[in-house]
Amino acid sequence: MMETGLVKLTVQGVMPDAIPNSDSQVVILQDENKAHTLPIWVGVAEGTAIRLAMEGVIPPRPLSHDLIRNLTEQLGLKISKVVVTDVKNNTYYASIYLSSKQSELTVDSRPSDAIALAVRTSSPIYVAQDVLDRLAPENVDPWLKMLGAKEFGGTV
Amino acid sequence: MLTQMHVRGLMFDPYTNAYIIILRDDSNAEMLPIWVGKPEASAISFAMEGVATPRPMTHDLMKTVLDTADAKVISVVVTDLKDNTYYARVHLLYEDSEYSIDARPSDAIALALRVKTPIFVNDDVIRKHSNEEMDRWLENLKPEDFGKFDA
Repeated sequence: MMETGLVKLTVQGVMPDAIPNSDSQVVILQDENKAHTLPIWVGVAEGTAIRLAMEGVIPPRPLSHDLIRNLTEQLGLKISKVVVTDVKNNTYYASIYLSSKQSELTVDSRPSDAIALAVRTSSPIYVAQDVLDRLAPENVDPWLKMLGAKEFGGTV
Repeated sequence: MLTQMHVRGLMFDPYTNAYIIILRDDSNAEMLPIWVGKPEASAISFAMEGVATPRPMTHDLMKTVLDTADAKVISVVVTDLKDNTYYARVHLLYEDSEYSIDARPSDAIALALRVKTPIFVNDDVIRKHSNEEMDRWLENLKPEDFGKFDA
């Protein structure tokens, strides 16, 4: 599915931050042709929420993002897509698109929550072309190297 | 029967490395401690202290999704306690229908504090809690704990 000005990405993995003892993890997103790589720094809790869903782990009790998925499903709201819309001062912004019978709703979100929901609902993840254009190569290259060298999605 | 309770505090439990949410009823006759993880504890503490984060945290997003869809949280209820695990339900009103959704108490409480909805606890849970707490105490006792009482 094509959307103007948007590039479809998939989560390649969640990796520990390169800085030792960091409280962050890095979610690596890539497009189909591997032409674009987008690393997004997230908290450990959010990184874990994404990784568990990718690994198909069904926790004994619903985690926070499972609850959001269950809430929307029960109310008949469908998550149609999530979009990484902007980056300002190293902070990424995202929107979650929900469709109900009547209308399309948009909700502001951190990318980590948006991605954690997308992987639980098999919804497509997009990034604005503009966000990719503004990525500095030096921020991406180390992760590209690790992509080649390391197994993804392992324990952190 | 349900008893309405309020979040009275949040404590760190060094033995389990977890946090404890303290719920109390209005008359302070009943108390219910619920063990939660660190992210859930900070979600609850932000809401208790009215901390506005620069970006929406996960439970803020939960609230915004419901607000945007015009779904109203009526109440949250801690419904059961089985094998040291507490169960809760979030009660919602959406397009003239009521919904009840299974949740962990930590998520239910973090949401309740944000949407300013009452928190109820099933009286059976309060009764069971008193028994299970005693069991947990006994299980956690180590031989060295007894040593403390040697004069």
